[in-house]
Amino acid sequence: MSYREKLAWLSLAAMVLTFGPYFAFAGQSSEMAKPMPNLRLLWLFAATAVVQMVIQGVGRWWIRHKERLAGDLQPPDERDLAIEYRSVRAAYGVLIAGTILVGCVMPFNSGGWQIINAALAMIVAAEMVHYATVVFSYRRYA
Amino acid sequence: MNSGTISNRIRTLRFENGEMSQTELGRRIGLTRQTLAAIEAGKYSPSLEAAFLIAEVFKVDLQGVFQWKSNAK
Repeated sequence: MSYREKLAWLSLAAMVLTFGPYFAFAGQSSEMAKPMPNLRLLWLFAATAVVQMVIQGVGRWWIRHKERLAGDLQPPDERDLAIEYRSVRAAYGVLIAGTILVGCVMPFNSGGWQIINAALAMIVAAEMVHYATVVFSYRRYA
Repeated sequence: MNSGTISNRIRTLRFENGEMSQTELGRRIGLTRQTLAAIEAGKYSPSLEAAFLIAEVFKVDLQGVFQWKSNAK
């Protein structure tokens, strides 16, 4: 498995492990219905983001260390760049769709944390599509 | 655009050139071992520049490394 595929798997796992429970909790109607600013949810999101960053940071350091020891740490080549281009393009589509949904549709029938969480969910979804496309591409063109 | 299949003789050429490893070939032309494995398996078509570089390493012309078989009748 290539270095960049390992990073993509790590990012996917970190997102599922952190944002999965967050959105499961935040999606409960009782939390969504509470009046703004609902600092409890804000702190929960902050903690989730920090945990996600720590997992990513430690995981990336470990993978990079192992790759360096194995002598497999190389700059991206043309195939890596092609896969990155494809995955960013896929994520961009999700992000645009999310922006339209959250910015142009939801204000007419939602508010407060529903809109905030929907925006965060679309960003996370775009990132997950990005990394999933990377993983799929390395598997497909492996 | 007409479709076709690209095959290659990289594995054979590596064997004929002192059993050169994919890592060594990749290092010479700036590709990772995984990318060379994908090219050898026919799962990734390299850029024209990379194809010429591979041919240059083995001191053969491009068709000595890559072959095109058209599906057009």
